[in-house]
Amino acid sequence: MPLSWAILATFLLAAAGYIVGRSRAFASAGPDARQLHSRPTYHGASVALTALLPPLAVLAAGSMLRLAGVLTVGAMPVIGILALVAAIAGLGIGVTRIGQGYQARNAVERMVLGLLMLCSLIAIVTTLGIILSLVFETGRFFQLYDWKTFFFGTEWTPRFQGNSQLGIVPLLWGTLYVSAIALLVAVPIGLFAAVYMSEYASRRVRGVVKPAIEVLAGIPTIVYGLFALITVGPLLRDYFAQPLGLGNSGTSVLTAGLVMGIMLIPFVSSLSDDIINAVPQSLRDGALGLGSTPSETVRQVVLPAALPGIVGAVLLAASRAIGETMIVVLGAGAAAQMSLNPLEAMTTITVKIVSQLTGDSDFNSPETLVAFALGLTLFVITLALNVVALIIVRKYREQYE
Amino acid sequence: MYDTNRRVENAVTPDDIKIQARKVQVYYGDKHALKDVDVDILDKTVTAFIGPSGCGKSTFLRCINRMNDTIPIARVEGRILLDNEDIYDRRVDPVQLRAKVGMVFQKPNPFPKSIYDNVAYGPRIHGLARNRAELDGIVEGALRGAALWNEVKDRLGEPGTGLSGGQQQRLCIARAVATSPEVLLMDEPCSALDPIATAQVEELIEELRSRFSVVIVTHSMQQAARVSQKTAFFHLGNLVEYGDTDDIFTRPKDSRTEAYISGRIG
Repeated sequence: MPLSWAILATFLLAAAGYIVGRSRAFASAGPDARQLHSRPTYHGASVALTALLPPLAVLAAGSMLRLAGVLTVGAMPVIGILALVAAIAGLGIGVTRIGQGYQARNAVERMVLGLLMLCSLIAIVTTLGIILSLVFETGRFFQLYDWKTFFFGTEWTPRFQGNSQLGIVPLLWGTLYVSAIALLVAVPIGLFAAVYMSEYASRRVRGVVKPAIEVLAGIPTIVYGLFALITVGPLLRDYFAQPLGLGNSGTSVLTAGLVMGIMLIPFVSSLSDDIINAVPQSLRDGALGLGSTPSETVRQVVLPAALPGIVGAVLLAASRAIGETMIVVLGAGAAAQMSLNPLEAMTTITVKIVSQLTGDSDFNSPETLVAFALGLTLFVITLALNVVALIIVRKYREQYE
Repeated sequence: MYDTNRRVENAVTPDDIKIQARKVQVYYGDKHALKDVDVDILDKTVTAFIGPSGCGKSTFLRCINRMNDTIPIARVEGRILLDNEDIYDRRVDPVQLRAKVGMVFQKPNPFPKSIYDNVAYGPRIHGLARNRAELDGIVEGALRGAALWNEVKDRLGEPGTGLSGGQQQRLCIARAVATSPEVLLMDEPCSALDPIATAQVEELIEELRSRFSVVIVTHSMQQAARVSQKTAFFHLGNLVEYGDTDDIFTRPKDSRTEAYISGRIG
């Protein structure tokens, strides 16, 4: 593994560079450390960084070229050696620069700034990469399958021997239906819980209730799914669906929606709680000072002031609901159908992405490639929701600055 | 409607006591913030509370409309009578009390609503208007009373937060006036305002006195001397001296008062 050895050696060189740089700086300062422009630790850090950054750049460039197919696996040891050479060269340059006049602190600050910028760039580039890979695969899908049938087809019957009906409409319907029920559950409960916590609860009660609600956020969604499957689903079937003659299914849109709503409660409540707390106390004092009751104050002053932020929180919760998979698999079933009856099994986009890509599949048939088109559609929907939410939240911030 | 340029000098007889405070103590947790305050506040008079920071003047002001109830660790003892009724009596609802005793705060705090809705807020929650025309009348009257009508009459639908600082504070005064209070408490109403806006608010206070009792907390002794007829000097949680403003500023009886107004303590 010459490459990993090269990386290890680079880090060792950098550590050695730090120690050497520091002691050389002390030595060049003579008896009075104030003679140095920068403190010795900065000299050490500057040597370490000049030893570390060039080889990392070499390695990154090598990996890129390898991914792009320019280099073969056999070329990788050469990259490792190149990186090592770069590290030694960097170390040498770093050490020779040490002296009383060398502005090591400024150099380190510049390099750190560069590092920070690089990290945020990586996050952005990765997102772009994900979008691009989705877009390319989706493009291939639409070469094999008519886009009009995909977007407007109301039938979802994939057959692996070919001749599938791959209409997104029933899946989109299921997704929106489940999400709507989830929000109907989560928004009122979460919002009222937030109002209670921020406006009425004493500090002690709040200290207990808030973490207790946030425990819900830590439960893995598959556990919620199990809850839906073994408790909520049968309960709804035995006490609502069968007596009312509305169906006989253990999995239903309502089951998944209710359980997903519970999952979203802490999300809505802690975001709304933060937003309500951001409403200035002076507004509450003003309203109370005019003789409003606490509930009038909340209804007429605090909530209107917090409304844009709360809308933003709800939209963020909505995009989580739309992207949720496990609860739907276990709670709502896998039947792609369009119905208004909330007690019938339906399915969502995310569930179908999973089922199209599990099992033996080659990535050449429309039946598997459709998963990417579904994923891209989902991504566009949630992106749009997030953008709208961010715009609203930003507008809200401006109001109080 | 009121004539904004008229000056009304009301003759106040000593009998017109609006608020009587006896042995008022306030504790914030273990801290004894206000000790044995006895004071009689007259009707149709501007009473100024002066004193160095942390002396308890704002604390006492907040006792008069029970705003200290909103602070969990605050405890009030003693008696405060408004028109001979103890406002800390168990039967008194602080919500109703605050409709009678309005408050204007240090920092302008208009609601994020339109100018009209800001002023109409109090009348609406207390059901003071039977129809839209009456509400319009109350809003116009309050805005005129706060010397703001001419500046905002063409943009009543715009947000109150879009006004300048001085206009916002006058909007808050209009909002308090619109509920027709009997007492108006002002907690350093001019500390966030420039001199021109301050002069406008002071002029306003002079006019408001014709209709109700005004209690103002201020850090500016010039302001106290300009706007008030009665002055109370607080120091370290005690009410040191209370009397006619002229006497307090020219012939203080207590050495601490004299030291404060001549700038030696503060």
